[in-house]
Amino acid sequence: MVTIGRLANIKHILQKELFDLNDERLISVCTVTKTYKKKKACYLCLSTSVHPNSLKTVVFSQVKPTEKDAEYKRKHSFQLDEIKLVDGKDENFETHEFDIQIDKMYKYYAINLHERQNFMGVLYRQINKSVRGEKAVFKNIPIAWLTEKTSPEKSIVKSETEGKVDTEDELDEDDAEDFKALTEKEVNELNKLVNECDFAIKDAELFIEQLGKKLHDLDGANIQSVLASEKQVFSLVEEIEKAVGEVEKFETRLDTYDDILNHVKESMEKVGSKNAMIEIANNNNTKLLNELNGMISQLDLPLSAQQALSDPDLKTASGRQAAINAGKALQQAMNSDIDPALLRLTAVQDQRKRFEKWKLKFSATISRYLNNLFIHLGNDIGEGSTQTQTHDLNLQSHTHVHKELAAYTDLMHWTKSMDRKTYDGLTKVYTSSLSKIYERDIKAFFANALHQIMSRIRASREDLLDTSTSRKVSAVKVTVPYGTLGASRDIWASNVESADREKFDATLEKVLAELEPVALQEQLFCINFFQLDVLSPTGKNTQTTLDPNPEEKLSVSEADPNFSDFLNSSQFPQKKIDRQINEEVRKMMIALFGILEPELINFIQSFEKLDSFYTLYVLVRLTQHVMSAQDTHSFLSMTFASALVHVKRNFDRFMQQQVQSIVECKLPKKSKCGILPYVENFEDFAMTSENIFKKTERRADMDKWYLQIVHKIFEYIAAHSNDHPKTPSQVIKMENYHHMFSLLSQLKVPGLDSAKKDAKARYNDSLKAYVTKYFGRPLEKLNLFFEGVQQKVAQGVKETEISYQMAFSKQELRKVISQYPAKEVKKGLENLFKKVDKHLCEEENLLQVVWRAMQEEFIAQYNYLEERIQKCYAGAMITLEFNINDILNFFSDIAKSH
Amino acid sequence: MREYKIVVLGSGGVGKSALTVQFVQCIFVEKYDPTIEDSYRKQVEVDGQQCMLEILDTAGTEQFTAMRDLYMKNGQGFVLVYSITAQSTFNDLQDLREQILRVKDTEDVPMVLVGNKCDLEEERVVGKDLGKSLANQFNCTFMETSAKAKINVNDIFYDLVRQINKKSPEKKQKQKKKSLCTLL
Repeated sequence: MVTIGRLANIKHILQKELFDLNDERLISVCTVTKTYKKKKACYLCLSTSVHPNSLKTVVFSQVKPTEKDAEYKRKHSFQLDEIKLVDGKDENFETHEFDIQIDKMYKYYAINLHERQNFMGVLYRQINKSVRGEKAVFKNIPIAWLTEKTSPEKSIVKSETEGKVDTEDELDEDDAEDFKALTEKEVNELNKLVNECDFAIKDAELFIEQLGKKLHDLDGANIQSVLASEKQVFSLVEEIEKAVGEVEKFETRLDTYDDILNHVKESMEKVGSKNAMIEIANNNNTKLLNELNGMISQLDLPLSAQQALSDPDLKTASGRQAAINAGKALQQAMNSDIDPALLRLTAVQDQRKRFEKWKLKFSATISRYLNNLFIHLGNDIGEGSTQTQTHDLNLQSHTHVHKELAAYTDLMHWTKSMDRKTYDGLTKVYTSSLSKIYERDIKAFFANALHQIMSRIRASREDLLDTSTSRKVSAVKVTVPYGTLGASRDIWASNVESADREKFDATLEKVLAELEPVALQEQLFCINFFQLDVLSPTGKNTQTTLDPNPEEKLSVSEADPNFSDFLNSSQFPQKKIDRQINEEVRKMMIALFGILEPELINFIQSFEKLDSFYTLYVLVRLTQHVMSAQDTHSFLSMTFASALVHVKRNFDRFMQQQVQSIVECKLPKKSKCGILPYVENFEDFAMTSENIFKKTERRADMDKWYLQIVHKIFEYIAAHSNDHPKTPSQVIKMENYHHMFSLLSQLKVPGLDSAKKDAKARYNDSLKAYVTKYFGRPLEKLNLFFEGVQQKVAQGVKETEISYQMAFSKQELRKVISQYPAKEVKKGLENLFKKVDKHLCEEENLLQVVWRAMQEEFIAQYNYLEERIQKCYAGAMITLEFNINDILNFFSDIAKSH
Repeated sequence: MREYKIVVLGSGGVGKSALTVQFVQCIFVEKYDPTIEDSYRKQVEVDGQQCMLEILDTAGTEQFTAMRDLYMKNGQGFVLVYSITAQSTFNDLQDLREQILRVKDTEDVPMVLVGNKCDLEEERVVGKDLGKSLANQFNCTFMETSAKAKINVNDIFYDLVRQINKKSPEKKQKQKKKSLCTLL
């Protein structure tokens, strides 16, 4: 009892002196000493803040009295959640020691056991109430302490009065916050209690005793009620045990169910995998079935097709159609896309063997049939065409052959893709039999063309031969290259009949125009019929074809390197493929029309022999055909091009001959040389050529030769001018250059402009040279006289003092002048005119020009002399015996009189 | 005097005639006229020796391809011309070379690869290195030329003459001299 009082005392003191200052309320206190150190006691306190604004927190603190015992001081202070362990050491009530582990282990020795119990209980409750998360562990402490709600402290109050317990309890239970201020009700209760025991104030001891008694009674009642509840507890325990038994039973049942379920699961899994296997098997079967169905449908060949293959009727259209269809079906079956693995099936192999047999048989039948057909057609038409030789120049086209064969096109394609050997064989037969026809046709065609032109030429020539005998000579000389510049005029002019040439040109055009459609038609047919526009065989019949040795196939493609190149790399440009196709087509066309090129060249050459000017026509005409061709690599274009190269060579040769003939030209043995033959012929030559070339594409070629020929002519005019026995070279040059100049001006060939200028310069030069040489100085002595004068002047004698020189006195001058009376001068001029007239030829008609040039020369000389006389003998009144007017009269009189 | 048969080959419009005429006549022909076939003769001195060049200027257009075999058979040296302004003309030469080797049946044929029109630098589509590598592949001489600007024109033909000399040195003369000596 004392302890409680002391404790209450301490609690009161601590509350007042320490916690009130901090607005805290002390909940529980325990007086302890440190274990093993019997030192001064200190107090463990649990306090809670009561400040209205602050959160309600419970603090565990250790308070120590200072040395004088008068004051208390907090030593440690911890939050409750810092407490980790509370160890009561022993459940025995008598144990004083206990440990609290916070940051470290604190060991205490409680002085009062009740205090200890109370403190532990309060601590436990407060911890449970306020700490969240990890709570401190309580061990070695009687459970009753911890669950017990009533503390010894409260029991004191209870013992005082039964009625107050509730409120007190409530108060404590509820919250410690409102504890401090007693409510009015409480005050009343208290007052009531105190009033009931009004003696208490007088006799505290009695009051305590009464309270103790009451407490004792209450304890007893409590124990009694506890004991009374034991039975119920027993029954409860029994019930629980029963329930546990039930649960166990239930569990065993569940286990058995589980077992059963496990078993079911296992078997379900097995069933599932089995099912999947069955599905796979099923799928595989379906696939296999599909595959087989596909294969069989691919490899199946209808009976009608089999019949058609083994005994095709190629004569009738319906039979052909059936055969074509059957062939296609077979091809399709043989090319069917079957997995290589399936090919090993015996059934497939057998079927393939059967296919191969059918194929061979069918192909052999086609081959035989078409072979006969080709040959038959070849012979048939050959006979037909020879009979119908018309006078019209036309080349027969063989459209009816093409039409007849067109029905077999599909069969041919089939053969190409299925049986290359037969295809090649048939191609050969076709080309050989058709080429015979074409050879005959083309030969006849050219012969006909030749005949037409020749007959015309001959006819016109015969007319000429009859009328003039002189032409006979030239006709004999036809063997000599005809129409060369160097030839004499007679030969040159012979046979020239521009109408003949034009006729030839027209015929040539007709020949070329006739050849084109026929060749084109045949080419089209061949491309179509022999499928030349497809490089590779249409079907890749490697799959089902029974190829005993696949190497054979390889060797086929290797034989043609370009071809295999093409197959190996599909990235080859279209251009290359086109070229390859063109090559194939051309090969075939060459085989068919091999005769064409030599015949064409022959045809052309036969005319060149006759008249080389035909070459020019051919050059122009053929160029038009070659250069304008759209299909530049077609057989005909290339054939024409090759012929054109030949023609160009002939043309060049012909031109070279022209140049050569100039070099070798012989001068005419006439008294007057006149115009040289090549200069004269050049006019005709140039006119003819211009007429042919005009503004055609080959102008450039002709211009090149013009230049060469003109330069050669210029060169040889100069060279030949010295060779003539009578005519002076100046005259020959003058006349010929003049002729060339006027001719070139007339031609207006742009490429010859410089040559024209050259000709004019040469002409002027030779004119001047001629005048200088033959006009000379008719007043020779006067000229000499004044030359002497000039010498003196050069030596330093003044011009005005010349007359004082002995040799050049006025007397002397008069003497010289008197030697040239007007009559004499005129006579001299007349002689000169006769001479000039003798030199110059009539064709060129340069007499007037020369005479005028001489007149000008004479006037120039006259003027010079007059000027000299005026300068040196000024004032002497000396003049020549004739004046300019006299001179002009002389010249015009002489010119008129002739 | 030894004669050299030179053939000028290449696609249409690359300037075969322009090069040839520039070399033979020292004229630049501006106008384009497709050639059919032209042959020229020119005497030149190469390494102190007089040579007569017989130059065959051929047609480049496609129609005339049939004549090529003949040209190749007769030619001793070949000028393969392309235009640096047209890729296709460059591409065509591969086939041409193959044809020459096939006709000649030898790998060693005197040959010059020529990229013409090098004055038209702004229109260039065939790089110089491309030409060089093709020449490497052909194992022949390479030069870029301009008939218009007279660049490398003579060198083409001189180089070819040297190649022909190197491949087949002249033997006839020596034999003739020997026979002459024995006669004397």
